[in-house]
Amino acid sequence: MRLRLALELLSLFALAVLIAVVPRFVSSFTAYEIATVGMYFIALLGLSILTGYSGQISLGHGAFMAIGGYTTAVLSVDGIYGHQIRDVWTIPIAGVVAGVAGLLVGIPALRLSGLYLALITFGLAVAFRQIPLKFDHFLGGTSGKVLSLLTTPFGLSAAPNHWIYYLTWGIAFVLLVVAWLFVRGKPGRTLKAIRDSEIAAVSSGISLARYKTLAFALSAFYAGVAGSLYAIARGFMNPDVFPVVLSVYLVAALALGGVDSFLGLILGASAIYVLINRSADVTHWLDHLPAVNLDPQRPGMPDVIFGAVLIVVLILLPTGVGGALRRLFGPLTTRLYSKS
Amino acid sequence: MKALLLSLLAGGILVSAAGARPLATPGVSSSEIRIGSSVPLSGEAAIAGNVARGIDAYFKYVNAKGGVFGRKLKFTYLDDGYDPGRAVNNTIRLVQQEQVFAMFSSLGTSNNLAVRKLLNDAKVPQLFVSSGATTFGRDGKKYPWTIGYIPPYSEEGAIYGQYVVKKIKKPKIAVLYQDDDYGRDLYAGLRRGLGKKVGAIVSKVAYDPTSADVQPQVTQLKASKANVLMIFAFGKFSLQAFNAVSRLGWKPQIFVNDVSSASALMAIVPQKAANGAISIVFGKDPAAPAWRKDKGIRLSQSILRQYGTDIGPRDLQDGYYTAGMATAYTLVDALKKAGKNLTRDGIMRAATHLNEKGNPFVLPGIVVRTTPTSRFPLTQVKLQRWSAKAWHPFGKLLSAKPR
Repeated sequence: MRLRLALELLSLFALAVLIAVVPRFVSSFTAYEIATVGMYFIALLGLSILTGYSGQISLGHGAFMAIGGYTTAVLSVDGIYGHQIRDVWTIPIAGVVAGVAGLLVGIPALRLSGLYLALITFGLAVAFRQIPLKFDHFLGGTSGKVLSLLTTPFGLSAAPNHWIYYLTWGIAFVLLVVAWLFVRGKPGRTLKAIRDSEIAAVSSGISLARYKTLAFALSAFYAGVAGSLYAIARGFMNPDVFPVVLSVYLVAALALGGVDSFLGLILGASAIYVLINRSADVTHWLDHLPAVNLDPQRPGMPDVIFGAVLIVVLILLPTGVGGALRRLFGPLTTRLYSKS
Repeated sequence: MKALLLSLLAGGILVSAAGARPLATPGVSSSEIRIGSSVPLSGEAAIAGNVARGIDAYFKYVNAKGGVFGRKLKFTYLDDGYDPGRAVNNTIRLVQQEQVFAMFSSLGTSNNLAVRKLLNDAKVPQLFVSSGATTFGRDGKKYPWTIGYIPPYSEEGAIYGQYVVKKIKKPKIAVLYQDDDYGRDLYAGLRRGLGKKVGAIVSKVAYDPTSADVQPQVTQLKASKANVLMIFAFGKFSLQAFNAVSRLGWKPQIFVNDVSSASALMAIVPQKAANGAISIVFGKDPAAPAWRKDKGIRLSQSILRQYGTDIGPRDLQDGYYTAGMATAYTLVDALKKAGKNLTRDGIMRAATHLNEKGNPFVLPGIVVRTTPTSRFPLTQVKLQRWSAKAWHPFGKLLSAKPR
């Protein structure tokens, strides 16, 4: 077990080093793209705690991201009583607001499970966009809210794209460590117990209500932070910035990365980014392969490819990429452990 | 001492050399001008993406004739699926990675609003946006790097209002409009155009742009016993509105706004409802019989055949391609006006001092004219009436210039 811990610490350290050095090797715009991947990664971390550990499915995490995004937009554009808040400081507030919303959703979710919970949360994602339309004086309606442009604060000399990169991945790293500490201790074991059998968990003295709502709130907090960063990076917020389909993409990416493998989620996050922003390029590359004849301009092509990839991955690696990695390194670590 | 003097001298030469060389404009080289755009090529508004394909074909035609001052136009357009979030990403990518000289003819009101501040802060021209929201032409003081193109929606609404006042006896007007800035812009214009007769509006119903069907709204409007129906909708919603009118056996005089009146759409709705519908027009429509033998339309079709990709017979009748060419013609015009020494300041000066006559892709007689304070390039329109499966322009050119 100690070896497993060492391995996990080592990979965290490696990730930290990687985060620090990557901007030296990529263009400013690529740094911006990787930052966006980091935002999806943060949202996926939260979803992983909820789905991977507590076993509750949410198809509504796009709505929590939107809550985070709107919190940041309102606080940094209109402010509280006319005092605008610097975008960086709105991030934790956005997380908390989304977390409270998650707590509120988590309470009715106690009575639901499986398919019904998925349906309810999906309803949340679909219905959420009506709120900014209804309160358009406050939230900007379809024309949205335009945030001030991203600037590097505190007299730091980084370019804005590098700043958002370090900001996002700095936060992502901290939240990754928090999630890691959370799931490897008592709360993680408790959530797993609930996931595996609620009856057994209750009879061992676990408070279902407390832990299930806690998982929901924490997970929504993560999504809120991700949404806030996204709004800051784009400088714009309206109901279409986090479309309904994003909630579905998040769950698909979770399956792709492995529901309870935090590092595998980076891959899932990259998949979402590519699907939303770079799908035409992927279709172009695939088109160059022999015996492949795709029309990149055909509507819906990216979704078809994403779907195909998802099916292939889940057939070959039912536990996602993260699960496959674990299976690959698993024998190594257990063997060494049993010897020592 | 000698070394110090020498290094000072060398430094001085370096500094003066750097000062003498004009700063290079991003996206402009001796052989090329890079231009970017973000348009829907997928999703519900994908059909409007043909605007960008029309532009692309026209630029290739200009390039084949030698380009602008020897520079070839390189046009990169990315798909945003009509999603403002993706439009922002595309715009940042085009400006930072592809280093475009200017953004041009990006489509959609929200999508352009989302990047307006970003482009203005970076001093990148946001030229001839594909949206009639009045703000793009009106707010030049606040956003000096932005300029619109098509007639403002508010004026379009006003033209319908004025026509009703003049031509329809005892009008009772029902209005169906999209519940966002776009629909409200049109509705506010209609009210202004009606002037004292604004009381003629007997009912109005807004629909949410995400709703499934507008039949319930149309049923509600019919109950008001109106004899005039304004359809200020978009895409599938105007289609549904015509269907509902026909199904309900209602026979009002219909006005349908320009953006939702494409010939291809009008041809597939029930003709019982569509016949006699009125709209405005400013570009030549390849599907309208009036222009079948027109030089401009012939030119656009030959350009499409030669430089377009995957052009079928239906594309040759598609007004979105021609609309793109009209904008592209104006851009080329502005680029020529900006002169050989092309800068971002220069193109904005040219774009806000246009006086373009004879754009072959807009109605004869229309002058594309702008000033730094009035950034509405197209402010002349005609009315047109739908009959025998085609639009027929009628009457004189009307002014759609905001006062």
